[in-house]
Amino acid sequence: MLKTRFIFMLTMFVMMQAALFSAAATAAPSGPDCSRALTLGLHDHGLLYSARTGTGIDKEVADELARRSGCKINMSLMPRARIWQLIESGALDFSLSGIANEERDKFASFAWYFSNKYYLLVRKDCKVRQLSDFEGDGKLRLGVIRAFRYSRNANRLVDALNVEQRVTYASSLDPLYKVLSSNRIQGMIIEPFDYSQVSNTSIRDFTTIIETRDPAIPHGLIMSNKALPLKEREKWRNLVAEMRADGTMLRIFQKYFDPELARSMVNF
Amino acid sequence: MGLHRLRQYGLVLLVLSVSLAVSFLAWQHEKNNAVLDLHVSLDFNVRDVSSRIEQRMAAYEQVLHGAQGLYAVSGDIRREDFATYVNALQLGADYAGMGGIGVATIVPASQKDNHILQMRQAGFAGYDIKAEGLHAMYVPVLQLEPFVGRNLATLGLDLYSDARQRAAMDRARDSGNAAISSKLVLAAEKNRAGDADTAEFLMYLPIYAAGTASDTPAARLTNIRGWVFAPFRVKDMMASLYGESQAATDVRIYDGVDTGADSLMYDSAPHSRAKPGSKDASSRDTQRIVATEYITNGGHTWTIVIGTLPGYDEQVGKDKSRLIAATGVVLSLLLTMLTWQLATGRERALALARDMTRELRASEARFRYLAQYDELTGLPNRAMFKDRLHHAILQAKRDKTRLALMYLDLDNFKPVNDSLGHHVGDMLLSAVAERMLACVRESDTVARIGGDEFVVLLPVIEHEQDALLVAEKIRHALNQPFEVAGGHVLEVSSSTGVVLYPEHGMDEVALSRNADNAMYKAKELGRNMVRLYQPP
Repeated sequence: MLKTRFIFMLTMFVMMQAALFSAAATAAPSGPDCSRALTLGLHDHGLLYSARTGTGIDKEVADELARRSGCKINMSLMPRARIWQLIESGALDFSLSGIANEERDKFASFAWYFSNKYYLLVRKDCKVRQLSDFEGDGKLRLGVIRAFRYSRNANRLVDALNVEQRVTYASSLDPLYKVLSSNRIQGMIIEPFDYSQVSNTSIRDFTTIIETRDPAIPHGLIMSNKALPLKEREKWRNLVAEMRADGTMLRIFQKYFDPELARSMVNF
Repeated sequence: MGLHRLRQYGLVLLVLSVSLAVSFLAWQHEKNNAVLDLHVSLDFNVRDVSSRIEQRMAAYEQVLHGAQGLYAVSGDIRREDFATYVNALQLGADYAGMGGIGVATIVPASQKDNHILQMRQAGFAGYDIKAEGLHAMYVPVLQLEPFVGRNLATLGLDLYSDARQRAAMDRARDSGNAAISSKLVLAAEKNRAGDADTAEFLMYLPIYAAGTASDTPAARLTNIRGWVFAPFRVKDMMASLYGESQAATDVRIYDGVDTGADSLMYDSAPHSRAKPGSKDASSRDTQRIVATEYITNGGHTWTIVIGTLPGYDEQVGKDKSRLIAATGVVLSLLLTMLTWQLATGRERALALARDMTRELRASEARFRYLAQYDELTGLPNRAMFKDRLHHAILQAKRDKTRLALMYLDLDNFKPVNDSLGHHVGDMLLSAVAERMLACVRESDTVARIGGDEFVVLLPVIEHEQDALLVAEKIRHALNQPFEVAGGHVLEVSSSTGVVLYPEHGMDEVALSRNADNAMYKAKELGRNMVRLYQPP
């Protein structure tokens, strides 16, 4: 009797062990591999991340990714040009709010989580009504962040002006706003998360915003193909998809934008 | 002719202008390309310098993070430990420009006296907080390692009372990230020439209370305890940057986005710029290309300006426009000359062809003449005479008329030729021919058929007597003395045989033979006579 009971208990114990083991075995592949500390590059860009306050949408998304994955993610602030360079070389795992193009698709993968349009911010006194007016006036200079790419028409404008030596480069928006004020440049390309910086300062008084007539461009988590195997990238993509699905992403965006704009950016 | 010339000149001018225009376009194109190359090369330079500065700043920041980490472990670090730590970093040439690593902690006004007392007790007898006026809080420099030289004077200096430092410190505190200050020129060195030589900046990282979570601006504000910082001299930092600098460029760094003299922090070639307003300045500025890039480090913007110095284009070395212009002009001129040759060459060839044709025709005419006439006397020769005789016989046959043929030989001509030379003989023959011609009608023919043998054809005669009259007239004329060049007076006579058609022969062979016989008969009978053929 005692023996039977012992055997039963032993069987139960083995079964429980097996169940636990198999649970652990199936749980492990569902989440990303956290065996090493991962790296993520932040860049100072309007509401995405403010180096002044150490906060922003990108920071919150990164924190949430770290929380959900359980991975240690070391974040560092660096110029966007350096971020792309490091993503390409594999020295950096992640960055945020990136857009794809043919060249970047060769070395990076993306997990989309919002979409937005690009706009041309111009000084009122240069009488520009549309993108082609800006290109047509040889005196006008455009301020651009090094390594930034935009939507189709905006890219075309930047590339055309670059050939004519009419582009001023900076590593962040801040100096561009300043030289826009002092009329050393007459226009910049901005996104919705730059609005607050424009509308809360004197910049609003002397500038106007022009549509690029381009569709909204998806932005996402940038993953280095060299640093992360395909399987891992898929797991991170799933994580981002979960954040969108359960409303976390919308909640983050709603902290920074009015509900309607937040919804239009996240639901695309 | 005029129109033709005009067309030629027009063609040459057209070729010249088109080839020069093509050369000009190529020159312009190359020149623009060269300028574009200069811009691209300079743009690359400014990006290169910017990224090297950014990387260097990131390295500096990393060193400060180490010091920051020391305070994260324990809020209370002894002076000796901090000094040991900084010493252990062994900051070498890669950190040139870094004047040391320091720490400054917050001292609320209420604790100021207590703080001073503590420091004095710790061995710094003359310690005081160096700040102008009274403040709610002070952030005096507690330590700046290595604690030697210039760094000694910083002890107790209240960083927070300087507005520029305060801005950077607040930024570092609020963000939790590194922040750098505006340009700083130390008072002791202010009077030295050129601010840019001594420009410095400070980099700050915040120290929060150990063990606190400082992930929001509000939490950071609450938990701030002080800052670790490092002073940097821009000139030394730039001197230690790794990488090749482009020759013939001037790298300048300005604090903020203003590029005024006050903001200048660094100038790699301070004496290269011409004095503003001088003649040289304006001429140089037109050639000077400048590339500007704004970089933001530690929340602070610097403007990197790279300008070309004279000779930069040679460094880049792609301007082939002068070579193209020179080659283009030379080729244009050669092409024009070639066109000129081709255009006028045709005309010259035509003129040559015309001359040659004329000569050919003249020689042909002469040849034809020589085939029919005797060159010396201009009289028809044997060939032509034969032809005329033939035609005259045919004509006489048809018309049933008579004709006369005479064979005439000069008597004693050979001695003239032998004694006085051929040229005198030739002159005599010419004169004979002239006299003979004067004795006949235009329709009659006098011909020379041998050395001193002549024939006369009278194509139409009425009577035998007509022929003998003409023959006698000739004989008589030739009997008159001849005065030839050289003053010689010569006297000759002639023997003539006469035949008549149809009486003495029906064809030219018979007539000729009989006339010849008659002439020989005359010679036999004593010369200087006319003898009518007597059939045997």
